[in-house]
Amino acid sequence: MPQQPLIERSFLEKLERLTIHWQQSFAGIVGGHNSSRFSGPGQEFLDHRHFHQGDDLRAINWRAYLRLEKLFLKMFQIEPRVPVRLLLDISLSMTNGSPSKFDYARKLAAALCYVALVRLDTISVQPFSDTLLDPFPCSGGRHRFAPVMNFLTGLRPEGRTNYFEVARRFVSNNPQRGLLIIISDYLDDSDCSKPIQHMADFGHEVLLVHLWAEEDRTPPWTGELDLEDVETGAQLQISLDDEARQAYTEAFDTFARELQELAMRNGGRYVGLPVSTPIEEAVFGPLARTKAVVG
Amino acid sequence: MFLLNLSLAEFLTILGALSGLVLALYLFDRSRRRQVVPTLRFWVTSQRLVPVTHRRKIQQPLSLILQLIGIALLLLAIAQLRWGTPDRTSRDHVLILDTSAWMGASIGESTLMDIARSTARSWLRAVPPSDRIMVVRADSLIAPATAFETNRDILLDAIRESRPSSAALNLDRAIAFASRVLKMNARRIGEIVLVASGRVTSEEAEALRTVPKNVRFLRVPDEVENCGLRKIGLRRPATDSDVWEIFISVRNYGLKPQTLPVALQFGNAPAGSRTITVGPGAEQSVTFEYRTRAAGWLEARLLTKDAFPQDDRAVLELPAQKVLRVAVYSENPELLRPVLAATPRVEAAFLSPSQYQPKPNADIVVIDGFRPSSPPQIASLWIEPPPGAAPIPVRTTDLNTEIKRWRTDHMLGAGLRAAGVQLESAQVYSPAKGDIAVAETDAGPVILARPGDIKTIVIGFHPMRSELRYELTTPLLFANILHWMSPEIFRRWELNAGSVGTVSVPLSNDTDASSVSVVSDGMRPVPFTIEAGMLRFFTGTPSNVRVLTGDREVVYSLTLPEVAEARWDPPKEVLTGIPSSYPAPPASGDLWRWLAVAGASILLLEWFLFGRGGRVAASSRDAVRAVRLPWIGPRRKNALRRAS
Repeated sequence: MPQQPLIERSFLEKLERLTIHWQQSFAGIVGGHNSSRFSGPGQEFLDHRHFHQGDDLRAINWRAYLRLEKLFLKMFQIEPRVPVRLLLDISLSMTNGSPSKFDYARKLAAALCYVALVRLDTISVQPFSDTLLDPFPCSGGRHRFAPVMNFLTGLRPEGRTNYFEVARRFVSNNPQRGLLIIISDYLDDSDCSKPIQHMADFGHEVLLVHLWAEEDRTPPWTGELDLEDVETGAQLQISLDDEARQAYTEAFDTFARELQELAMRNGGRYVGLPVSTPIEEAVFGPLARTKAVVG
Repeated sequence: MFLLNLSLAEFLTILGALSGLVLALYLFDRSRRRQVVPTLRFWVTSQRLVPVTHRRKIQQPLSLILQLIGIALLLLAIAQLRWGTPDRTSRDHVLILDTSAWMGASIGESTLMDIARSTARSWLRAVPPSDRIMVVRADSLIAPATAFETNRDILLDAIRESRPSSAALNLDRAIAFASRVLKMNARRIGEIVLVASGRVTSEEAEALRTVPKNVRFLRVPDEVENCGLRKIGLRRPATDSDVWEIFISVRNYGLKPQTLPVALQFGNAPAGSRTITVGPGAEQSVTFEYRTRAAGWLEARLLTKDAFPQDDRAVLELPAQKVLRVAVYSENPELLRPVLAATPRVEAAFLSPSQYQPKPNADIVVIDGFRPSSPPQIASLWIEPPPGAAPIPVRTTDLNTEIKRWRTDHMLGAGLRAAGVQLESAQVYSPAKGDIAVAETDAGPVILARPGDIKTIVIGFHPMRSELRYELTTPLLFANILHWMSPEIFRRWELNAGSVGTVSVPLSNDTDASSVSVVSDGMRPVPFTIEAGMLRFFTGTPSNVRVLTGDREVVYSLTLPEVAEARWDPPKEVLTGIPSSYPAPPASGDLWRWLAVAGASILLLEWFLFGRGGRVAASSRDAVRAVRLPWIGPRRKNALRRAS
């Protein structure tokens, strides 16, 4: 039985007009499509500054020198090529839901990779669970999309989430700042906010894509339950009634709100997506509204 | 206090089953289910942990107890728990109304049926209004006219619409039916009330020596004088087929001897009259003879005026006596005249061969020793046809031979015993498939019959010119031949007039059961049984029934009303007379409404306290109300406070 593709071709055609957008200014070589506050060899005039020894003589404003007898250097605005890194949660907690959060995350990652490839951005996909796995870099245009699909299709959910280890490895392996997209349910026994804050402190712009299934937010069961954590195997016995269900939902919403505040506090963005949302609607809806992608 | 709908054992069994089911569902609902979740952090946050212990213990006993009490109350409502004792409730009675033919007898201006209706109404007035009554009409068949009713108008209508039938009362079956109905359908068994004259058959009177103890007999006085026709039988004697022998049986049902004339009419013309004297309770027969071949209506009448005129007259339809016409073409008619004259109902016309017609004005044609110009178009008997003229191929001519075998198992050879009869010359025929060899020599059949639409028999010799003319076989052979060719002419008729009910007809030993048929008017089949040589059938309405058994036809004109000859004297333990009034039962309390309301209320309360209803109420966040409701448990109060 042939495996069903993660993304339909018709959807890919709609993604052609989108661009991954970041808000912060990053230094880098020219070739990107988002303007930066850093000057460089661009075409758009940005500012003047005093000439210092070692500056490029070609950028001296000779007209100003003739008039003021001082050396001023013309600075130009550049659109640097910024690395985009996509962290994909493949822990066991991503397996529940219908469709599963894991499948939904892979489809979303594939869509973002395709958008990046179309715009000749460089994007690397790094799965993670209890540690950060090897990145899969992809660049060079849309014809390089097939390897990305193969890579995503070959992923299997495993392990328990450990954001501290992930953040530590990520920061040490990626000194160049850029856009950091994390697609996850952020369900870590330890608090995930500190590791994310750590990565943001290193200058990465974070885009938190929060996935949840309906049962993650509103448990459908009632009565006496033996709950088992799918990642740790820990068990909990509870009596679930409407009151408890309401308290649970409130706790979940508080958690989502904290994630959003974390992203906003660091100049990043937060997108919450229930997996019942069609992937096309998610891209052109919540992701577009937060300007994670722009048309 | 007692249960009306269920016995105590049934109630306890159902309650136990329901309680077990509720307990199982309760434990199942409270049992823990394992559920795999992506994280436990939010569950801990919601702070709804419960102790791990007492996993299978009843955790909300009050909920379970309330459910069981509610179910028990609802079940008690279904079982109709009542105050008082069962003896103090209303009873169910069966009123058996005699609608036999005898109830049409008159006493003065009214009939016995009028008296029975009046008696039934009088008894009905004495019965308490809460008692239920079923009206049953009884003659030979038992027909309920109503169900168990308390509505007196319906019962009075059923009594008023009861009419005498044509059959006699089958009291034994009526009592058995009433007992069975009371046992199966009555809430509390009452009385079986018989409103009847008590005329039953003598066998039934013997069988009714013992009856149920709850039988009450209200006799309809029937001390009247009556004589009636019991049975009429007609048949033609074997010696003279033109005469009807008529047997009439008359019975005196009264208490005094009666002398009365019996008159007979055929076609409205007097056909005979006798005067007979019949003693009380006796039966006497009188015989008439009447000569006629014609069809018509024969009426027998008792010239008297009595209380029951319906059985003083009977009418039967007599069939015509048909004659078999035979056209004999022969040069020597004197040879055949004796054998044809020996068979009654045969009218032979002797003609010369020159007068031959293929289709003469006859039923059978006899062709004696000549070649006809054209083959006959009706059934034909060929006697020693000339060579080449026989309708059946001649194999050979056998000289100085003798008859060796007769086909005695067929009606053509029935009774033929002559053996070793010498024949100077006989044609031997080649039989085809289906042909019947009546007589054979060593060379083959010399008398051959061919069935079909046009029956044909050929005799290869002249029986009156051979030694056979001295044998009894010869007239028998001709009689058999004529009988085979036209069986309907020789059918034997018997006519009987009787009464409706079960009729038994004795059958002869050689009767083929598969050839027997019983039909009523319009040739509608009537169910019948044959057992030990006796055919029995039943008809409940006056009608004419024909019993066909081969060549015999018995016609029953079942138009006489059936009057039983015996009187039933009830045993001493049987209640008689109409009581002045039955003891009215004090009203027993109906509790089922209150029980149903209480059960439903308790279940509703349980649902509100422990079920989904309570959760819905909790979301209203009306903690103030919760504090003001003292009967709500502390757990519920805490929940409401938290919600507020």
